[in-house]
Parts: sequence; C-alpha cells; structure tokens
Amino acid sequence: MLDSVVAGLTSGGVYALLGLCVVLTYRLVAVVNFAMAAVGAMGAFVMVTLTDAGLNVWLALPLGALAGGLVSALLGLGLVRWFGEHGLRTKAAVTVAVFVALMSVGLRLFGNNTSGARRFPQPFDAPAFTVGEVVVPQAVLVSLSFAVLITVGVGLLLGRTRVGLRLQALSERPATAQVVGIPAPRLALAVWVAIGAVSTLVIVLVAPRLGGDFSTLGNLVTTALAVAMVGAFSSLWLTLAGGLLLGCLEGVTASLEAVQQYRGVLPFLVMVALLWWRSRHQVWDSEANV
Amino acid sequence: MKRVLVALPVLGLLTALTACSGGSGTDGPIKVGTINGVTGLFQTPEVPQAVKAVFEEVNKAGGINGRKIELISKDDAMNPQRSTEAARDLIDSEEVVALVGSSSAVDCGLNRATYSKSQIVSIPAVGVDPACFTSPNIAPVNPGPFKLLTAMLYYASETLKRDKVCLAFTVLPGSGGGIDAAIKEWSDITGKTLTVKDTSVGQGDPTPYLVKLKGAGCQAVIYNAQVGPWFAQAKTQGMQDVDFILMANAYTDANAALIPAGMNAQAGTEWQPYTDETLPGNDRWAKIVNDNKIQKTAFSQGGVMAADVFVQVLKTIKGDITRESVTKAFKEMQPITYPMVGTPWVFGPGQTHNPIEGSRFVKAENGKWTVLPEGFIVPKRNG
Repeated sequence: MLDSVVAGLTSGGVYALLGLCVVLTYRLVAVVNFAMAAVGAMGAFVMVTLTDAGLNVWLALPLGALAGGLVSALLGLGLVRWFGEHGLRTKAAVTVAVFVALMSVGLRLFGNNTSGARRFPQPFDAPAFTVGEVVVPQAVLVSLSFAVLITVGVGLLLGRTRVGLRLQALSERPATAQVVGIPAPRLALAVWVAIGAVSTLVIVLVAPRLGGDFSTLGNLVTTALAVAMVGAFSSLWLTLAGGLLLGCLEGVTASLEAVQQYRGVLPFLVMVALLWWRSRHQVWDSEANV
Repeated sequence: MKRVLVALPVLGLLTALTACSGGSGTDGPIKVGTINGVTGLFQTPEVPQAVKAVFEEVNKAGGINGRKIELISKDDAMNPQRSTEAARDLIDSEEVVALVGSSSAVDCGLNRATYSKSQIVSIPAVGVDPACFTSPNIAPVNPGPFKLLTAMLYYASETLKRDKVCLAFTVLPGSGGGIDAAIKEWSDITGKTLTVKDTSVGQGDPTPYLVKLKGAGCQAVIYNAQVGPWFAQAKTQGMQDVDFILMANAYTDANAALIPAGMNAQAGTEWQPYTDETLPGNDRWAKIVNDNKIQKTAFSQGGVMAADVFVQVLKTIKGDITRESVTKAFKEMQPITYPMVGTPWVFGPGQTHNPIEGSRFVKAENGKWTVLPEGFIVPKRNG
C-alpha cells in the first residue's frame, strides 16, 4: 500500500505540470485552452522526428519548442484578431475546435496509436533514490522542480513585474487595457508563443510516463483540466497540490483490489467531491467567479 | 375476392425478389464483400488489398468454373453507423455471396445478427471483438484475443517455466468473461493459477502497477496495453529479469523500437511472424504482398489466408455458386491445413467458431523482432 502511494506520488509531478499549463494559460491570457496538450504534442513530435533523424536531443528540443510556440502563436493570433472581444466561453469553444483539427492533422502526420508510437528521449532516467520497492528516477525530481519553477515564476511574473501587471489588465479587462495604452495584441502573441513552448517542454517530460503516440498525448488535456480544476483555474499552488493528489489517488486505487476496476474514475470523483466542498458557499456565475 | 386479386401480383413480386436475392446470379462475376477500416482510428487498408490480390491471381488463372471473383470493399472508418450500412449495402444491393477478409473493429458485434438472418457467412481476416468468435455465421482466420491469451499463459508457465505468472491487462467492454474463460482453460490444462490478475490497467502512469507486480515477485507478466511508457518505467523500476509477454497487437515495427535495451519483451503472434518471410507458409503471403506492393503487416497475412481458404472451399462447390451454396459449403467443409497458423481452419456447423489456436513467439532485440525457435505453442496439443 505504502509502495503504491509512493509510486503514485512519483507521477504527481507530471500531472501537476499538465494542470499548471492550463492554469498558466488562463491566468496570462484568460483562455481555457482545450488545445494545450495537442499543441504541446505537435512540438514534441517535431522534436522526436528530429531526434529519430539523428539530431542531438539538446538541439532538437529548442526546435520542437519553437514549433510548439508557432502553432500556439497561430491559435493566439486567431483568438486575438477574431475573438478578442468575445467572452470566455466562445474562446474556449474556439480552442475545442482547434483541438479537434490538431488531433486529426497530428494523426495524419505522426500516425495512430499502433503505428505512430515513438520512444521519447529520457535523459533523466537514472535512479535518484529508492523508497521501499519504488525506484525514484531523477526525472521525478526534474518534473517536480519544473512544476515549482512554473508556479513560482508565473506568480512572480504576475505579481512583481510591469509585464505581469499589463498581462493581468489584459486578461481581466482587455478593452480597458488597450484604451490605457497597453500594446495588447503584440503582448498577447508573445505570451502565446511562450505558452506553446512551455506546453511542448511539458509534453516531452510527461511522454515517457504517460504515452508515446500523438492521440494519447493530445488527449492528456482531460487530465490537465481535471488537475487545473483543483486550483479553480487560478491558484498555481493548489494546482501543483492537485497534481500530487491525483498521482497519490491513482497509486492508492491501484493497490486496493476492491476499487482497482475504477482506477480511471475514482481520482476524478474525489476531485469533484473536493471541488464541491470548496465551493459550497460560493455562488456560481457571480462576478467573482467568472 | 377482391383482396386476393390485389394480393396475387404482390405475391408474385415478392417471389421474384426472393429469387433474385441470395447470390449474384449464376453467370457474371462472383461478388464477395469485405468491411475494413481504411480510414479512422484502426486502419488496415492492406487487408482488402491482400484479399483482392489473391482473387486477381485466381481470375488470371481462369476464375472459378469460368466465373471471375469480384471483391467489393467497404471502408467503415470504425464508425458503427457506416459499418451497419456497409453490411446492408453489400448483402442487399450488391448481393454478395459471402464476406471475406473483413478487419473492422466493430463489424462482428454490429452485423452478426444481419449475417445470421441473411444466411451469409463471413470469414474475417482479423477477428477483433469477442463477437467474431461467438457467432454462428462468422469464423475468423486468426486465433483472436482469448485463444491467444491461453497460449501466452501456457508459453509463460510451460515453455519458459516461470512459476509466478501474472496478468496486467486493459479490458475492452464485453471481453472480461472471455478473459476469465481463457485463464480457466490454461488452469485446467496446467493446474496452475495466476499470482496477480489485474485487469484495470488503463491510460495514465503505469508505475503503480509495475511496483505492485514487482512486489508480488512476478517472473512473467502477460500484458496488452500501451508499450512505450510501460517499458520505460519498468526499466526505471529495475524489472530487467521479468519476462514481459505482449499480445499480438503489440507486434509492430514501431513497438519493437520502443523497448529499451536490457528489457525482456516477447510477443505472441497470430500467424507465422511476418518479419521472417522464410517461415512455412509465409512464402505464399510474401509473394502476394511483394508482387502487389502491399504493406507487410500481420493483418495482411490474415487477408491472404482468408482469401485462400475461401477460394479452396469455393472450388469444392458442385453446381451454381450462390449465397446459399456457399454458406452450405462452409458449414459442411473439411478442415483445411494452412501452414501459416497453428491448427487447421474449419467453419463447420457450430454456433460459435474459433478454429485457430496457438501462437508463435517473437522477442524484441535491438529494436527489431526476432522469431524464437519453438514453433507454434498450442496448449491443448502440447498439454
């Protein structure tokens, strides 16, 4: 049982990273991005195609991140240009459409789950330490550090810098921000590029644990959204905790014979219960929650 | 009286209609249908190509009693609605005499009742879902997941002589009972039981499962889910001494490249492993796919075999070749020995058909599959 919990915790970092990607997009550009994992998978597959062709991992990685950034920029450009004044729901719907499109393009370009599975490089594969039966590889520490880095970094960016202030203004009141002279479209586009690049790095980090083909990686957005919900799409620290919680719950359910069959559902049920508990005094759709 | 007068022409029309259906007439080509996923999530375009190539070979040699075989191929894209429409279209409009070489993942479950009602036989190249092996009018040319599982368990406990055999499976809806029956068959033959049986493996991080298997001391693990993350994490957990035995769906070139060096991965194949063209029976298949530039996969072996056994049975029919005579011939046929599989193939009169049993094993070495020297492992025969 304890081994399973530890085993689950080792995947907490990658779940947290997925959730953080969604929350950071929401905090920076006020979009619930359903295409996040698919964009990241595009970048990741560009990278792995390059490494398969013989390119060094450390050269291929920035190129992949750039490709992810470009796809993300296209999505951002469309959103800024045509849907800038639209509400949250319309923007989310646009990203759903983009998700569907990216998935079919990706399936065409990179193959389905039997023919298109790739081996992602694992530079941090060596064991760091062992807890009971569980070998904890360096990759776990890397994922966790990256998650903390994003949490602290984005927190600092938003709270302590001028760019952060502008971004907050932009995401909360886009029209007003433009009126007071914030160069909204350019700034937003730069943020979209960054988000695409970060998503690519995250997908590359999670791939050795969660899947090696385009459709599996693109569909990780469901896990990402569930984790993001724990932080109510706003708290980065709670999202980080949500990732660890999901990993933990998966570990526990894998070890208990009685609930094993429901391993896929149970963690999410617990999260829904948690959300309900947290929001029991809130009024949905009130100004504070939108 | 008036009512009878009206009814008479209608009756005549009905008789004319029934006379027409049930076969594509007695001259002109013999029409044969096939339903495959050419687009969509589960793509096997090479299967109808292989079936067509075999039929063209027969046609070049003069056909069957002077009649050519015409293959009408339908793509259902794994879409249930398209699959049922395809079956209806083939049976009612095209009036095919049989279905040969289907490989759709949804065909059997959706169309089994239609096949029974229309009294038409289907010989799928690849039986995917459980219904392919439990229907009166369907008999695939592959062992299918359940017979394969029995063979894999037998291979682990008897050939590899592993004491602690474990199972880590992802189960498709409706196949849980079949898996239990396959495990029971193995237990009945060998008197052994599983150390760990976990049928809840799904997507997500495989580490908790691997840790559990490691903790239970599993020496052989039968596995059927995602290959990449499973082996990457098994390596991290130091499970190099465990024999991982994969289902046939993992036997692809892409998957061989996913297995890290030092890990023990073997796969149970349904036909003679396609990666070695010199194996018995593979020469025939290799000639067909090479001559016609068809993609070399295990599924294309199923296509060639389904078409071959169909032609063999067709040749035994005396008189007109119609849907009725074809169905009759299959229900009364003698078993056909086909070197690409472990047991003879037969349709026969039964209510369920799973004629092919046993599996041959391959091992992942340096990113490629190599064929292991033991021939087909057929639990009943070997046991």
